[in-house]
Amino acid sequence: MAASIREKQTAALKRMLNFNTPPLKNTTAEPVWKVLIYDRFGQDIISPLLSVKELRDMGITLHLLLHSDRDPIPDVPAIYFVMPTEENIDRICQDLRNQLYESYYLNFISAISRSKLEDIASAALAANAVNQVTKVFDQYLNFITLEDDMFVLCNQNKEQISYHAINKPDIMDTDMEVIMDTIVDSLFCFFVTLGAVPIIRCPRGNAAEMVAVKLDKKLRENLRDARNSLFTGDTMGAGQFSFQRPLFVLADRNLDLATPLHHTWTYQALIHDVLDFHLNRVTLEESLGSEAGARPKKKTKKSYDLTAADRFWQKHKGSPFPEVAESVQEELDKYRAQEDEVKRLKSIMGLEGEDEGAISMLSDNTAKLTSAVSSLPELLEKKRLIDLHTNVATAVLDHIKSRKLDVYFEYEEKLMSKSTLDKSLLDIITDPDAGTPEDKMRLFLIFYITAQQPPSEGDLEQYKKALIDAGCDLSPLNYIKQWKAFTKMATTPANYGNSGVKPMGLFSRVMNTGSQFVMEGVKNLVLKQHNLPVTRILDNLMDMKSNPETDDYRYFDPKMLRGSESSIPRNKNPFQEAIVFVVGGGNYIEYQNLVDYTKAKQGKRVMYGCSELFSAAQFMKQLSQLGQK
Amino acid sequence: ECVGSMNTRRRHGPRSSQEGVYTGPSQTQFQLAPPLETPRAIPPVDNSGMSCRDRTSEFQSVCKSLQGRQNGAHAVKPVHTAVRQRSDFTLMAKRIGRDLSNTFAKLEKLTIRNANAVLKFVMSTLYPIPSVITVAKRKSLFDDKAVEIDELTYIVKQDINNLNKQIAELQTLVRFRNSPNSRHLQTHSNTIVVSLQSKLASMSSDFKAVLEVRTENLKQQRSRQEQFSQSAASTTSFHNSSLSNSVLMQDDSKKADISIDMDLRSSQQMQLINEKDSYIQDRANTMQNIESTIVELGSIFQQLAHMVKEQEETVQRIDSNVEDTQLNVDLAHAEILKYFQSVSNNRWLLIKIFLILIIFFFVFVLFMS
Repeated sequence: MAASIREKQTAALKRMLNFNTPPLKNTTAEPVWKVLIYDRFGQDIISPLLSVKELRDMGITLHLLLHSDRDPIPDVPAIYFVMPTEENIDRICQDLRNQLYESYYLNFISAISRSKLEDIASAALAANAVNQVTKVFDQYLNFITLEDDMFVLCNQNKEQISYHAINKPDIMDTDMEVIMDTIVDSLFCFFVTLGAVPIIRCPRGNAAEMVAVKLDKKLRENLRDARNSLFTGDTMGAGQFSFQRPLFVLADRNLDLATPLHHTWTYQALIHDVLDFHLNRVTLEESLGSEAGARPKKKTKKSYDLTAADRFWQKHKGSPFPEVAESVQEELDKYRAQEDEVKRLKSIMGLEGEDEGAISMLSDNTAKLTSAVSSLPELLEKKRLIDLHTNVATAVLDHIKSRKLDVYFEYEEKLMSKSTLDKSLLDIITDPDAGTPEDKMRLFLIFYITAQQPPSEGDLEQYKKALIDAGCDLSPLNYIKQWKAFTKMATTPANYGNSGVKPMGLFSRVMNTGSQFVMEGVKNLVLKQHNLPVTRILDNLMDMKSNPETDDYRYFDPKMLRGSESSIPRNKNPFQEAIVFVVGGGNYIEYQNLVDYTKAKQGKRVMYGCSELFSAAQFMKQLSQLGQK
Repeated sequence: ECVGSMNTRRRHGPRSSQEGVYTGPSQTQFQLAPPLETPRAIPPVDNSGMSCRDRTSEFQSVCKSLQGRQNGAHAVKPVHTAVRQRSDFTLMAKRIGRDLSNTFAKLEKLTIRNANAVLKFVMSTLYPIPSVITVAKRKSLFDDKAVEIDELTYIVKQDINNLNKQIAELQTLVRFRNSPNSRHLQTHSNTIVVSLQSKLASMSSDFKAVLEVRTENLKQQRSRQEQFSQSAASTTSFHNSSLSNSVLMQDDSKKADISIDMDLRSSQQMQLINEKDSYIQDRANTMQNIESTIVELGSIFQQLAHMVKEQEETVQRIDSNVEDTQLNVDLAHAEILKYFQSVSNNRWLLIKIFLILIIFFFVFVLFMS
């Protein structure tokens, strides 16, 4: 698969918007105007991929939510992109009865069942609109792609498949079935869009195994049905250079609970941790300066989109934060230089009339001016991006400074790599201006999770008291205790590898250049490459290394004729492509770790997916819910 | 006590589900036997490399079978013909769209022809033409289907003008058809108009680029043409024609033509030079045309910008009123302040009041006594 999953999903969406015919490249085609109707699921899928301008270029004049009041526009075709749920089907039938549009192109995000199809058919018959329903398609796009190599399953009902939902003690069989079905359906759609049948590996004895079994079965059934198979040679052949199948590694969140709680130091992960970052959109609260005494400070919410077209973002989203701060400063200086260039040109033009006025000079300056004018939009765009990143980085920096996140990061890295600690945990917890109670709880949980031996009763009491004094909620601790006991029985505790965190002293360099990012007192920490548990498992499986952790993993190959109960891998060659999926939730720290791992290895491609994307705060909430039961 | 529950449940063989069809996250119902009598016809799949499944034929077969069942039940309703009638707006928009795409095609043809001409010229410079070749042949080498390109240029220019007018009409139609209860329809119409305008604008700028390339090419050709001619007259005509190249002095080219004719009538190589003259004249005319076209395009751009600006105004009007009001209030406030200041600081005023008080006092005292 030379094309990334984002390109594939975007191509599928564009094809759908072109009435399910592959779009032609030429601009001489006559524009056809249409209306796009989606539900919240469809909105989440489309918004990170296609901007409003791109929709307009494809001829979409209006994009509306399904469950809103819509006026009739009787001479325009309408494209629907919805999930096949009861309410959506009802609303579509209502639209048919009300004759809102000229023709209807129904696209269902995942496969629609026969009975619902009949519902629509009967409504169409009743409204005498059968000829108006021009096309009905199953799009198999039930997942959200956030990056070229990262996807999540859903955003809208994510409580239903959250970590809490999967691991709660009073879960019923039927609920579990539903959750598994949801996850498997989305993963199936993912592989259909990707156009490849993977080889599945999963650990034993947890939710990941259930998902693997179901997914294997679903893929197998689809492949068996030769006439109806979605994995025909065409979908797989297009643009594929390697004939090897990808490796699909299913991991369970329970294997590593420290990473979701970890404080981080890279740009994208930091934004997700401290700011409101959702589907590639970050929302900041900014307060306008108060005018002379009279008006109170107004807080406005500003949201920024961090897109694939933003080159600065693509380059620096995985960089450590100090590097980002420097780079923003550099970009700002470069921009100012260009701006001065344009201004100078303007002044030259102004003076020019008094001088020789030779034609040649005029034409030369005209050329310069036209080039300057044509480069103006670029300059403005650059300015906008620089402003965006300045605001975002400043907000992040405020959080770092007020909560002393660098201290937490350093300490947690040391905990996770079992290196010597220079400060006692109690000191940090009792320090009143280092971090919110949540930060302290996170730190303590990581300490508890990574400790080889649980702390003694006396110590534990001391810690608990300190935490309660700091204002923390101790219910997550109950759950972690249970979890720890369980995992100790099952497997060896996760090893976080040796990470070296080298503090580079105080950040004097940035201060000297007089930048706006005055990071005084913030340590400039340099990350050394280390592998989180998920990355290590991937490494073992991809390179077919033998390791007690992963030798026990099950092996599924949907293309094989016999349903396999064996765990003997048939494929002896190392894999070039892999997809890692974490059941129970994931975050950007793991993603970044995988990206770094891929960069270090030449020629390998890794994609990361999770059932939901949560920040540490959200995960803590789920843990405390679990701990209260 | 809860540790056991953390063990995930082992599934001993999956429950039988039908074809892995997804029934929605809020339901756990599975498919039972299909309610229709007709057996489920699996539709033939034409994926042709697409990662989606076409259920249209399945849908239609379902409709047919349902219809068959209901045929006796109630009378067939008449098909709503209202939806088939398209509004004026849609028809006009469709026509404009079609014209746009046609003009685009013509513009592409023009670009290709022009590029060919430039290429030919460049090749001819790489392989210089010996002076043995007669003028006629030389001319044919330079005659790079100029006529055809000029025609196409003229046609495209007319088309762009037409489209501009049509889009302006469309916009007025939208504005006057302002029905209050269908805001979606309004947004839809506005978006179409803006999209057509931007398409026209991009096409115009492409056209301008083609014209600029052609102008440059003609300039180069003319200068090379001059290299081949030896007589002094041609150099003067070169000067004249170079003057005519300038954007603003289009009249001079005519004067230059006349002056050339008068100078060279008595020359020996009258024939040759006349041919050259007419050739230069041709070129000058073409240049003129191109320049006038560019000027017209400029006016079209201005019109388009005006249209876009007008659209902005509907959004900006409220804002600008508020700013005006704000400005006025500020000014008024400043004036009052000034007056207050002048009133409060005016020593003369104090003295005047004091004087008046004293006068009254004296008058009062005098009266009393």
